[in-house]
Amino acid sequence: MVSPEPAVDTVIGPKPRVEIRHVFWIWLALTVLLVLFSLWVPARLMGPPASPTMHAVESTMTVFSVAASPVAAIVWAIAIYSLLRWRSKGEPDRDGPPLRGNGPVTATWALLSTALCLVLLVWGLAEMTSVTSAAEASNPLVVNVTGQQWTWTFDYPGQGNVESDQLYLPLNRPVVFHVTSKDVIHSFWVVQMGIKVDANPGQTTKTSVTPDKLGTFDVRCAELCGLRHADMETSAHVVSTADFSSWLTQNGGHS
Amino acid sequence: MNGTANTSQGVLPHAFLNLDTYPDSAAGAHGADGGAHPDWVTYGPTSNLSVPAHSLVTITIKQYDSGGTITNPYFAKVHGTVDGTMTVDGKTVTEADPDSVGHTFTLHALPTNQDPLFVSVPLPAEADDAPTAPGSDYPAPHVVTFSFITGGKGEYIWNCEYPCGDGYYAKFGGPMSTQGYMSGNLNVT
Amino acid sequence: MSTAVLDHPPIDEQAPTGGGVMRRLNVVTALVAGVVLGFIGWFVAHLLWQDGDHGSDQVVLVTLTCWAIGFMLGIGAFNGPLGWLRGRDLTHQDELFLAGKNQGVSRYFRFTTDHKVVGIQYLVVTMVLFAFGGTLAMLIRTNLISPNSHFLNPQTYNAVVGLHGLIMIIATIIMVTGPFGNFIMPIMIGARDMAFPRLNALSLWLIVAAIPVLLSAAFLGGIPTGWVGAAPLADQAPPGMDAYSMFIIIFAVSSAVAGANITTTVLTMRARGMSWNRTPIFVYGTVASVGLAIPAFPLFMASQVLLQVDRTQGGQFYVASGGGNPWLYANLFWLMGHPEVYVILIPAIAALMEITPVFSRKPLFSFNAAVISIAGIVGLSVMVWAHHMYASGWAPDLNGPFMLTTEMISVPTGLLFLVILGTMWRGRVWTALPMMATYAMLWNFIIGGITGIYLSDVPADYALHGSMFVTAHFHYTLMGAGLTGAIGALAYWFPKMTGRMLNARAGYISFWFVQIGFNITFMGMFAVGLAGQPRRVVTYAHLFAVGNFVSTIGAYLIGIGMLILLWAVVSSWRHGERAPANPWGAKTLEWTVPNPIPMENFTVLPIVTSDPYGYGEEADSTGPEFDRAADGSVREPAQVGAIGDSGHAPVVDSEVER
Repeated sequence: MVSPEPAVDTVIGPKPRVEIRHVFWIWLALTVLLVLFSLWVPARLMGPPASPTMHAVESTMTVFSVAASPVAAIVWAIAIYSLLRWRSKGEPDRDGPPLRGNGPVTATWALLSTALCLVLLVWGLAEMTSVTSAAEASNPLVVNVTGQQWTWTFDYPGQGNVESDQLYLPLNRPVVFHVTSKDVIHSFWVVQMGIKVDANPGQTTKTSVTPDKLGTFDVRCAELCGLRHADMETSAHVVSTADFSSWLTQNGGHS
Repeated sequence: MNGTANTSQGVLPHAFLNLDTYPDSAAGAHGADGGAHPDWVTYGPTSNLSVPAHSLVTITIKQYDSGGTITNPYFAKVHGTVDGTMTVDGKTVTEADPDSVGHTFTLHALPTNQDPLFVSVPLPAEADDAPTAPGSDYPAPHVVTFSFITGGKGEYIWNCEYPCGDGYYAKFGGPMSTQGYMSGNLNVT
Repeated sequence: MSTAVLDHPPIDEQAPTGGGVMRRLNVVTALVAGVVLGFIGWFVAHLLWQDGDHGSDQVVLVTLTCWAIGFMLGIGAFNGPLGWLRGRDLTHQDELFLAGKNQGVSRYFRFTTDHKVVGIQYLVVTMVLFAFGGTLAMLIRTNLISPNSHFLNPQTYNAVVGLHGLIMIIATIIMVTGPFGNFIMPIMIGARDMAFPRLNALSLWLIVAAIPVLLSAAFLGGIPTGWVGAAPLADQAPPGMDAYSMFIIIFAVSSAVAGANITTTVLTMRARGMSWNRTPIFVYGTVASVGLAIPAFPLFMASQVLLQVDRTQGGQFYVASGGGNPWLYANLFWLMGHPEVYVILIPAIAALMEITPVFSRKPLFSFNAAVISIAGIVGLSVMVWAHHMYASGWAPDLNGPFMLTTEMISVPTGLLFLVILGTMWRGRVWTALPMMATYAMLWNFIIGGITGIYLSDVPADYALHGSMFVTAHFHYTLMGAGLTGAIGALAYWFPKMTGRMLNARAGYISFWFVQIGFNITFMGMFAVGLAGQPRRVVTYAHLFAVGNFVSTIGAYLIGIGMLILLWAVVSSWRHGERAPANPWGAKTLEWTVPNPIPMENFTVLPIVTSDPYGYGEEADSTGPEFDRAADGSVREPAQVGAIGDSGHAPVVDSEVER
């Protein structure tokens, strides 16, 4: 039994204020690091966006990461500080102060997390409205997407039923995809455009996007669909309007 | 491999492959008794194919099986072969009757970024009442021949896109979902 | 395993004379009866249906059902009800025999009703499941070490992924409420056993009967659907899918039985004076978990019954062309599937909330907030299921409401963080292994929680759904928080359950291997997920090669760490240092009983006068005293200062029974 220290622990005096200040600095440092991480890493890993939708998704990832940074930082700051300051070598020889709760702290914590949640919810709802705008455009290109074990096929009903096993899209024109499946559930995913909707047998689901970048992108199946699920991939080519017209013509269609 | 051929990409080595499609496994790679699933349809004599890189590959498939209407007419058409054609019993065509397809040979790439290759050929069905050929358990086959040009080395997979796994949901279980029957690999070496 | 440790002290040396036919039944007779009845079932079904349209599925289903019935008959699970049919009930000697009195190790291999035996059985079953599931995880990661490794062919890969998922889900569901909910919780509330001891044994042996059913899937073509068993792919799958259904049906019965038992025990058998605000938080966590499982698993069971109607009777529940609908399956499944993650998480976090006050030497910070948060999570968790279906096209108009409920669940979850942090605040933090688990959980669960908020956002989910990002996210929650919490609980209660201390050095080494490996594995997986790698793929684009390689190396570190932990558990159990009755200085009731624990736990039932978190509130703050009064009765630790009730003198009270 170690001789008891002065009973500072039971006195709510200047000491906790010093500790709160220390925790604050650790929190601030962690927050800055996490904000920098949030600004640089998640969107970068997702790659350059090929549509306004993907652009919105990457902004969301960045904004949510930034918003979450102070939250993660406060948890980790207190945890780190508890190890630096309050750690006992071996079994503690005495108890800590009998703090059974702190109403104002609990209420503040609950209110702040609720408020943060509501902000994220409003952000999400606004974003949902903006990413569906392609579907509401006046003259969208309609593409029927058919998933089957283990290929994708596309046809363009307004363009003379041109069919293809690769997706061709004109730049900057809103596209609405009508997606269905011949057998099990697949999920139609154009990775760099940030859109995904399941291909269900017997149902037609819709998604829409406006490609805004020329290039070749990845169409993948995002729902386990059996033996060759991993290989159920094809390419999405975003081409100029003129190139798209000539591709349609070559394949027996019209623009 | 057998000599060279003149193609749109210049003179290339020319390789040949022969395959068969049977209504059961008795004549395939699964042994004389058909192995674990003697009643499953199968490709034969093997499902692991190997062809040379940067070559013209000609595949001949003897098709012994009956069939019906294909679910996706896209696969009743020929895609990705030289000139977009195939020959069926000597006749050059670009598609099969979508209501009478037995199987397809549909080849595509793994996601591992090798040279793209997509070839799909429908194999016309035998009539349901086709008479058994003399000296055989099966009717005289449809002989389908087609050619395609390989790129660099890489791994590809092929499978059948005519749902023929009878007794399974969407007819895509059983032999359709089991390697060695209606699905296999193609290595470009 | 040393019998000396597991044996109860001879309270009276005479072995019970009761038991009747139960004396002859054990796991061997169960296996024999299961195999025999299974064979008879196979033979009959084979003759009847072999050539039918759904022949092989019917044969498999009948065989597995007969196996399970035979196994349960052979273990003696039906002896009680069969006795009642003949107008007989158990005598006192029968009950003593069933409770495993004076029977050494053999009671672990029988239908034994003692909750401590059941707890140990659950612990071993959980560890066996983790060993299987972990081995499969190593196979998956080895296959993914390079884009096209050829280590597993696609068929085997899909089967391995499905089995790994299901085994791990089942293992994590039972990993806390099974071993600790059965062994510790009744002592913690001052009870002599569970409310329904025979149901307790039934729930355990149902799982044991179900495990061979699940493993048989590997030999019946596998589960090619992932652990979710998604229809209509499940309609198409080989007979392994029938084993999956049968397993789920048996497991659902087991969890319903266990849930009814544990909730009844807590509602009716708490010690005198243990009012709700004196009931330890772990008890709340256990009840919340099994209580949530009671409505959840019957839905899963129903989904499998419908699937079996499809598969064996030509039904069309999930077949769109026959008027059915795959979204029916998705709804039934996720109505279970989202509560299920909280079934796993809540008791693990609650165990850490029980551990933190002990190792901080401080009262639990805001007990009321902890209880309200657990209740809030339980309530909200049944209203969030469709966030798994944002991209399914089922009900796009409901995506907004489900985004609301999903994001709101982070409020009570956040309060649980505050409870733990507030408890640590200015405490005397003792960083023994159980407390290290708490710190690891704080790190991992923040990451798992924040990534969950990304996924709750509908447009972000459109981009990330079905990708490796999701896989990494739920491993951060279920493994990083859940399994870490269970390991903390194991380290914490190991001395009470085995009478020996867990090897601390091996525990630390294992901890760092597992936690570092875990973060490497799943950080790599987040990266490839963001870059667009789908889940459950056997090959992938070269773009993802580096991230997957890193993940695989991390997974090997986890594997090494888990093997060290396994060694530590087995060796400490056999010849670890003898544990004192209360090695951690805790104040809950389970630490007041001696090691080894007498068969009925308490010779004197305790009376509770305060909650168990009164650290720093006593004149002598060295922790509770343990001694025996001259008459042999146990003196209970002084517990003072319930919430809003501080300042009273310590009250020691006891009630002599029998």
